[in-house]
Amino acid sequence: MEALRNAFDFSDSPRVDLVIAAMVAVALLLFPLFSPSSFAIATIIQFFIFALYGMGWNTIGGYGGQVDLGKAQYVGIGAYTTAVMLIRWDIPFWVSMPIGMFFSITWSFIIGYPLFRLKGHYFAIATIATSLVLKDLFEIWDFVGAARGLEISPIKYSPPDFLRLIFKQDIYYYYVIFGFFLLGILIINWFRRSRLGFQLRAIKDNEDVARSLGINVHLSKVKTYAIATAFVSMVGSFHACYIKNIEPEDTMSLDISILIALMAMLGGAGSLWGPIIGAGVLIPLKSYLKEWLGARGGLVGIDLIIYAAIIMVISAREPRGIWGIVERVRRRKRL
Amino acid sequence: MEILLSSLAAGLLIGMALALVALGLTIIFGVMDIVNFAHGEFLMIGMYTGLFTAQATGLDPLFTLPVAALVGFLLGGVCYYGFIRFLIRGPMVAQLLGTFGLMLFLRNLALLIFGSEDRALHHGLLVGRSIDVGMGVIIPATKLAAAVLAIFSFWAVWMLMNRTHVGKALTATALNPQGARYMGIPTEKMNALAWGIGGATVTIAGALLVNFWSVNPFVGLLFTMIAFTIVALGGFGSVRGAFFAALVVGLIMEFPGFWDFFSYTFDIQWMYDIPMTSFKYTWVYLAYFIIMVARPRGLFGWKH
Repeated sequence: MEALRNAFDFSDSPRVDLVIAAMVAVALLLFPLFSPSSFAIATIIQFFIFALYGMGWNTIGGYGGQVDLGKAQYVGIGAYTTAVMLIRWDIPFWVSMPIGMFFSITWSFIIGYPLFRLKGHYFAIATIATSLVLKDLFEIWDFVGAARGLEISPIKYSPPDFLRLIFKQDIYYYYVIFGFFLLGILIINWFRRSRLGFQLRAIKDNEDVARSLGINVHLSKVKTYAIATAFVSMVGSFHACYIKNIEPEDTMSLDISILIALMAMLGGAGSLWGPIIGAGVLIPLKSYLKEWLGARGGLVGIDLIIYAAIIMVISAREPRGIWGIVERVRRRKRL
Repeated sequence: MEILLSSLAAGLLIGMALALVALGLTIIFGVMDIVNFAHGEFLMIGMYTGLFTAQATGLDPLFTLPVAALVGFLLGGVCYYGFIRFLIRGPMVAQLLGTFGLMLFLRNLALLIFGSEDRALHHGLLVGRSIDVGMGVIIPATKLAAAVLAIFSFWAVWMLMNRTHVGKALTATALNPQGARYMGIPTEKMNALAWGIGGATVTIAGALLVNFWSVNPFVGLLFTMIAFTIVALGGFGSVRGAFFAALVVGLIMEFPGFWDFFSYTFDIQWMYDIPMTSFKYTWVYLAYFIIMVARPRGLFGWKH
């Protein structure tokens, strides 16, 4: 009951934020009714997906200060569990998604216990290493289609299939992921006001002091890592049904992991709205840059160059991201 | 037996070249406590430099090393003064993602300029030649030359770090930046110098590697991970550790060869069935994970 009340309690955010958030939510809810192009719908679905990934990353990376660059492995576990179960045994999405989350969390415990003995750079590089090992394994594992990957053929089912999440039009996916998105915000809001959330912020500020206050630092980190993992795995399962064609290179590459960390970093790690703002800026920028510059001008890679330049400027000039700028402006106004 | 010996030789040779790749990373980390994710991209630039200088001048790629060193030194200096200087004021998270941004930037710049195709050298004094040592061990001349020159460069840097005033100043900056500043050491310049030396060594390594390794814009990440593994095993900031760790990592990369040796020698059926060659680099990543968890200080590390 307490948890539920916490999840819906936004009273510590300024009212302006809540009004803007509500307006954006209504706009997103009504947006498909104005019959936009399928490109715009696809971009917004990508935005939802990465905002959710970013929220998951934010729990451990933002509130806890543990830079995790291996989130893509959980995208892979979630996506592969759903795809394999649907293709081989016709198990619907709503059953396979929790199973995928279970696998992801189990794996996160297995690697999390040794991983969280490391700190800082060492931890970050070790998460990359585990992610790459898992990707290499999936690339030769025949049961999951090896390097070719898996394909869910929608012909076998009769869309719209709400149980298996197989649709012809993107608009169904839009509303399903929108639901996940709202749920995700509530979960993060619960998390940041929960005991665990406060423990984690204490750990971020000073680990030794946190330990001396009686916080089990290692256990708190592992628990939060599991929450982050569950988030990412859940969206990974959705990703499998949405994209319908998954391979190790697309779902588990390092680029995905970096992109996830970047969303949260750019928007402002350790804040509720940060990852959403980050995804809202980066994803449309990325797809439109690619569309305009990459495809039309024949300039391969220019979208990522601009992208990288933004990362460099942000990390050198404003390490707390866009949300950091907003807060600074507010503080100046109050003075 | 022949497989075993040639795997050993190949592993040690590649290990010596890899030592030079990791040297720059460990120097930069030792002096400034910053992990450079763009390290592999520096190597990629070194490879392109070696390749194009050799093609443009018609010289053997082995003589392009000074050009590569100059390019690397300037690259390191420019990166430091233009970017890293601002980055190190921020928190660790920003440093990590900042050098990641540098990596993406350099990689995609190379993609834009050079295109995504593999390029390799097909001419040169040593390309295609080899030395038969006996016992079935055949050593390609390019790899031998790369190993010898890598050891030479390594020795030069070691002498610079340990036997000169500049090297002492660098070490002082690494041990205690504030104290070094009080002693009149220009730490800002020392940091830039560390980046310059780091860049120069890794581009030299790139120019050596291009003799037997084809180059494309995406080659960097693999070497970044290998260099991280070496530096972790040798101990972050340790120059001597990096050398011995590189030999170990070279042998780890030849693991499929040893696997073949065992499966042939003892004729174990299930060992044949595992496609070990597709796991070539997995062992390197796994080694990093195990080393970090088991012994975070590495073999010779003094920083943790």
